[in-house]
Amino acid sequence: MNHRRKGSAWLPVTLLLVVLLPLIIMPIVAIFVFAARGGVSGFLNTLAEPDVQFALRFSLLIALATALVNLVLGTFAAYVLTKYSFRGREMLTILVSLPVAMPRVVVGTSLLLLWGPIGLIGRALDPLGLQPMFAPFGIVLAHLFVTLPYMVSSVRPVLEELEDTYEEAAYTMGAGRWKTFLHVILPALKGGLFSGSLLTFAHSLGEFGATIMVSGNLRLRTQTAPLYIFAQFEAGNIEAANAVAALLATISFVLFFVLLRLTGSRRRLA
Amino acid sequence: MSIALVDLTKRYDHLVVLSRLTLEIEEGELFVLLGGSGSGKTTVLRIIAGLILPDEGRVELGGRDVTWLPPQQRDVGFVFQNYALFRHMTVADNVEFGLRLRKIRPPERRARRDELLELVGLSGLGDRLPHQLSGGQQQRVALARALAYRPKVLLLDEPFGALDVKIRGQLRESLKGVQHKLRVTTVLVTHDQEEAFELGDRIGVIERGWLVESGAPEELYLRPKTEFAATFVGGGNVVVGKAEHGHIRLGTTELPMPAAAPAHPEGANVRVLFRPESVLVSPDPWPEDAHVHCLGEGTVGPRVFAGSVQRLRLRVPGLSGSRALRPRPRYGEAETIIEAARPTVETDRGTFEEGSQVWVGLETYHVLNPAGLKLLVLSTHPSGEDAPAEQGVRLAHAVHCPGTLLSVLGEPQHASPARAALDALRHRWPEAHAPQLDVRVRVGHPAKEVLEEIQQAHSELVVAGRSSDGGIGSMARAILQDLKIPVMLVGEPRHAFRSLLICTAAGEPGKSDIRFAGRLAVRLGAKVTVLHVPREEDPAVRARAERHLEASRATLEALGVTVTTAIGTPPAVERILAVARAEDHDLIVIGAPAPRDPAQVRGQDLASRIVLGADRPVLIVPMTD
Repeated sequence: MNHRRKGSAWLPVTLLLVVLLPLIIMPIVAIFVFAARGGVSGFLNTLAEPDVQFALRFSLLIALATALVNLVLGTFAAYVLTKYSFRGREMLTILVSLPVAMPRVVVGTSLLLLWGPIGLIGRALDPLGLQPMFAPFGIVLAHLFVTLPYMVSSVRPVLEELEDTYEEAAYTMGAGRWKTFLHVILPALKGGLFSGSLLTFAHSLGEFGATIMVSGNLRLRTQTAPLYIFAQFEAGNIEAANAVAALLATISFVLFFVLLRLTGSRRRLA
Repeated sequence: MSIALVDLTKRYDHLVVLSRLTLEIEEGELFVLLGGSGSGKTTVLRIIAGLILPDEGRVELGGRDVTWLPPQQRDVGFVFQNYALFRHMTVADNVEFGLRLRKIRPPERRARRDELLELVGLSGLGDRLPHQLSGGQQQRVALARALAYRPKVLLLDEPFGALDVKIRGQLRESLKGVQHKLRVTTVLVTHDQEEAFELGDRIGVIERGWLVESGAPEELYLRPKTEFAATFVGGGNVVVGKAEHGHIRLGTTELPMPAAAPAHPEGANVRVLFRPESVLVSPDPWPEDAHVHCLGEGTVGPRVFAGSVQRLRLRVPGLSGSRALRPRPRYGEAETIIEAARPTVETDRGTFEEGSQVWVGLETYHVLNPAGLKLLVLSTHPSGEDAPAEQGVRLAHAVHCPGTLLSVLGEPQHASPARAALDALRHRWPEAHAPQLDVRVRVGHPAKEVLEEIQQAHSELVVAGRSSDGGIGSMARAILQDLKIPVMLVGEPRHAFRSLLICTAAGEPGKSDIRFAGRLAVRLGAKVTVLHVPREEDPAVRARAERHLEASRATLEALGVTVTTAIGTPPAVERILAVARAEDHDLIVIGAPAPRDPAQVRGQDLASRIVLGADRPVLIVPMTD
């Protein structure tokens, strides 16, 4: 039980608002204000441009692909890390969550050093005509690297909460490991999987640091929406940048509120 | 489908949780495994289900060896303590799960599901999710789910543990009904003796991985064989008397030895069990023809009114000299106290007030199987001179106790000469008088094998040689600290144990060493000297020492041991060794060093120094209270 102070709250609340205003609230408002400056038609015209269309579609596709691969990979990682005991489990657990702490640019650099044309593996692939970097594959790779911890940390607590007897009950009734996973464990993970996928999707959609390293920022080929915003800003094309920024912000808000509702209702259930 | 468990042993690291457990459960029987927490009862259940594998032994279901089969292929139903219902599935889907896996067709599946829900009284609740049900209802679903696919064996792990008392009663009845109707072979695990009595066709009492005793509930209550079973199921008085010309001597009274009682040699200890409700209390003596075994007059001690019965504690001076095992006498208490439970009757009012004089008698009593002090005698040099093992065998002979004579070898090929040497040791006595020692040879690392044998055989006293440097040695230290089992270290052997010197120094005399040495002295018929050496000379310390010595004297005399007490002057080690030599005691008894005693690390604690300096056997007793 946390004891909330009653008494008069207006002073500290006002102070907090004063701090948050320039920090969070005003910047968000600014996006929409600038986006709306050209009027609705200007906004729509910008979004109809082929560059914008490509960047938005490309970003959504990459985010979708990342979320789908992560769904399998992250669940598998979480399952192995919770249900098996082996030497080095602690180490592996730390390793899986390490990307959260790594600067994104460093993530991009490390991938380039491995898969790039002069990289450790990339050097061998180059003569075969395979170039994973500066291509959608490389971007998905970078996004997986960055988002895996979010997936694992959404699924792991749910898995840990499932008592061993849950699986054992299925075994005694005649279900093998795979059937148990499919019919008993997976359905119980539904909530965790959904919020993990949403988190992955949202992070992938907004990823910038690693993406700019591995994508090459090629127009109509590897330019994601955040990269487009950056490129337009640099070129002084502020209105185009703003329109896309406003759209990205809106998508993020929607995802965020869905997530909030989801975790809120789960907490109420528990 | 019958269940046979043969010699099951399970270890976690080096902790033995099940030791050589053998049990047969008949077709259609409801068998209850009753034990406290950590007794290994759940382990047995999980091994039957195949959720864990035993390290040794065999599991047979219906004559088929399933020891190495995975749980999926055993066809058992398991009800878990926490029910483990699948929370995303409805009640109906939970019950149908096992049927779906067996590819039963939908109409048949639904019919079976409805049949089972009706059987457990949950018809119409099939659409609910588990979290919408009460605890008792969830338990019923778990039972229905486990029975749906007609398993050959039903296993229940503390199925009512999480429910309140009233619902527990209802569910017990309904479980009994279901089991009778389906006649499925069932094993239920519980710590609740009332539950065991109510449900079990037979009950097995399990303790520290050891199946102590099993039998029908009434048999187990009225005619148990062991003290553990006797006192674990229901309260009871266990008093130790002596066998004398076909009678049992209890203090100044005598009870006839029942014809069905196990054989006791003349003069041997006899443990007599009588339940509180068979203790009769009356203001007047009983007439000759009343079929009451009168224990004499007594005084009513503290009384507890518990509704339908009142529990009395009675002091019966006539029983003094016979030791009570239960209720366990308080340390320092010489008087024998027994417990009685009398029905509350209006006319008896005032009769059983505390302090009133009453006559105490027994309606019935029962004689337990003779107990032994389980010995483990270690042989270090099976081929050559082996004074410690010889001394151990002699001790086993003197105390008439069962035990094991063990030799641990590094190489398996020396096993048969080692066994022959051990046999020869044992057979120095004519067969009829030979000590009851099993000969065992184990191969492996000595300390590891010895620790494991102690746990498996439930040894209560280990006899071993000193370590090569003449000290306690790491193996004995491990036995004392990890297993809390007393160790007798033999340097120069003694021909017989006629007098024991119990030494206490610096601080309180240990209660566990006094009690254990007393037990040994009773069996050996030895006299005891308790020697206390305080750390310093000081009148206050001396007064405290005298009080401690009085308490230990009372405890020992209550066991029937002749006691002398003495206070020595420091230094402790030199004083103890000098007294042992001067009075020529056969055994020095000393408490084990505290595990965190810094002196122990340097081998400078009292026990270590006495073992190093003594020219006779030393018994080290770990502190357990």
